[in-house]
Amino acid sequence: MSQAPDPACPLLLQGLSRPLDVDVAKWDRLLRLARRTGLHARLAETHLDGDVTLADPVRRHLLSAKRVAEFRTQMVRAELFRLAPLCRGDFPVVVLKGGAYILQERRLSRGRFVSDVDLLVPQSQLRTMEERLRQAGWQTAPLDPYDERYYRDWSHETPPMRFPGRTLEVDLHHALTPVTGRLAFNPQCLFETIRLVTGSPFHVLAPEDQVLHACLHCFQDGDLELRVREVVDIDGLVRELAPEPKFWDQLVRRAGRLGLERPLWYGLSFARLWLGCPIPEQVLAGLPAPSRGTTWIMDRLVPLAMLPPDPDYPEPAKVRWARRAMLARYHLQRMPAGMLVPHLARKVLRRTLARHVGSEAEENNGA
Amino acid sequence: MPDTSYRIVDVGAARIAVASPLIEFHHQLNLVYPHQRDGGGDVPFADIRVALTPGSKLRFWGRQVRLWSESQAPFEPYPIGSALPLFEWGSNWLLSQRLNAYLLLHAGVVARGDQAVILPAQPGSGKSTLTCALHLAGWRFFSDEFGVIDMERGLVLPMLKPAALKNASIEVIRQHTNAVLGPVFSGTRKGDVAHFVPDKESFEERRTGAHPHMVVFPRYVAGAPLRCLPVPPTEAVMRIGLNSFNYQTLGPLGFDAAVRIARQARAYDLSYGDLNDALACIETLFDQTP
Repeated sequence: MSQAPDPACPLLLQGLSRPLDVDVAKWDRLLRLARRTGLHARLAETHLDGDVTLADPVRRHLLSAKRVAEFRTQMVRAELFRLAPLCRGDFPVVVLKGGAYILQERRLSRGRFVSDVDLLVPQSQLRTMEERLRQAGWQTAPLDPYDERYYRDWSHETPPMRFPGRTLEVDLHHALTPVTGRLAFNPQCLFETIRLVTGSPFHVLAPEDQVLHACLHCFQDGDLELRVREVVDIDGLVRELAPEPKFWDQLVRRAGRLGLERPLWYGLSFARLWLGCPIPEQVLAGLPAPSRGTTWIMDRLVPLAMLPPDPDYPEPAKVRWARRAMLARYHLQRMPAGMLVPHLARKVLRRTLARHVGSEAEENNGA
Repeated sequence: MPDTSYRIVDVGAARIAVASPLIEFHHQLNLVYPHQRDGGGDVPFADIRVALTPGSKLRFWGRQVRLWSESQAPFEPYPIGSALPLFEWGSNWLLSQRLNAYLLLHAGVVARGDQAVILPAQPGSGKSTLTCALHLAGWRFFSDEFGVIDMERGLVLPMLKPAALKNASIEVIRQHTNAVLGPVFSGTRKGDVAHFVPDKESFEERRTGAHPHMVVFPRYVAGAPLRCLPVPPTEAVMRIGLNSFNYQTLGPLGFDAAVRIARQARAYDLSYGDLNDALACIETLFDQTP
């Protein structure tokens, strides 16, 4: 019978911080779970240079993952190199998440797969930056007017841009949260504490804002499918930043100011639960926890949605339901119901139409 | 995927585990992997695990089969009778994604003793046909698709899967009295496909690598005369890189490996219209190459 989450998940999470001494049969399963969640290159980081003896095929798979991650990292560096001339000093260009971890040479950037470059600019400069990207050759995939308006008016980013012939997408943000969402805050205050990365024209968020952004991204984004790697990001950031003086004070104060205490509570709780992240008791106790009912529900749904199920089977129904529930929660936080219902109705209708027309076309081809 | 008793297919450079409730698929698999008996060892590890599962019986346009890997079906389904081509194609794709510990060339490979001839080429250049013909002429079969370069040991490793012959190539190879071919699958995405089965000796030596001795970039051109020109090492490096699945991903490692091959092995560009001419030419070059 298929199990969700897979019983080997705790072992996978353990292996992210210290080398495991397990047999090849266990490794076979661990690698499959890690591949499914994009954590295999992280396993490589803890296992390849250590004292642990690995069977040849296991070592080869870890090496393979490490090389792909290094290649992607190199691609991000190359993209940032090409973006650098677009930073002309008239307004700050902030690199977010993966790109920022690489720029700052953070430990957690090693073995982390990056798929796009996220940039944040002041809202008043969004058009200018977009225009600069266009002038320099980046292009947007054509969108219909509805999608265009969705991005412009309701979202917190512009449609993804890409330089022809390159694989990485550049996402241009003017906020960290959808402007219509319940957690929306004025991004202006982020710019008050940004830091210039030495030797580059780019800025990054203040350390505590990086943690808050990771929490926001992890727990407020879609159906949370296999998002465990984002909890791993939160854990990595916290472990790296916690030794700084006053880190916890600043983090909690900042979360209060931006109204992000709830996402922070979730992020820290799951980082501690799953990865043993060293978080002082008074920090979690000091944050307003969700109600006992909500906690009970989230404790059941989050592992189902985020951790990988048995890879031998298609995802079981309870996993799909958990993701649907998380998606519903996300949509409700993203838009007021009065906007959400027409938006979703429209999406469902279009998808159904596309599927209908699409499948007919496919079958005609086959016939 | 109700039945997950996996069957291990050991192809030398990799181990593939496959589960399927489709009896016909297992028959097809037995035909093209006839030497694979006990699963090739008792190591409970596979480089890829896939399941081939049938779709609904009630589908109006005919029943289909899907390939699953880690709870996902990454490819479009095939007609139910074509499970074998789906398995071969899908497992090749997964292997090309996962074996970045090696430099993976898009190449046919054969060997004599411990000296290998690598035949890197784009799809449609006749690489599979030439590889099979060389094998039928007495060369040891490594692969018609993957030149697996073990960069640490400087060896090319066998990936002993059946060769997927397409369209006209099927009859060309079938003419040979010793050729063993699986069933013909008509009208797949790549036209008609039949799988050529390498001999037992090649299979039994699938864990023994060989040194790159010669690189031949083959190109079949209908009706063209035989033309064989040496390729200078600098150009060979670039062409090896171009005919690779993961040269770019490996960065400097891939470059170093390609340079090493180009220094070690003589390279030739071979275009031909007659398969026998090409075989004779490769024989001669092999004997002449120091």
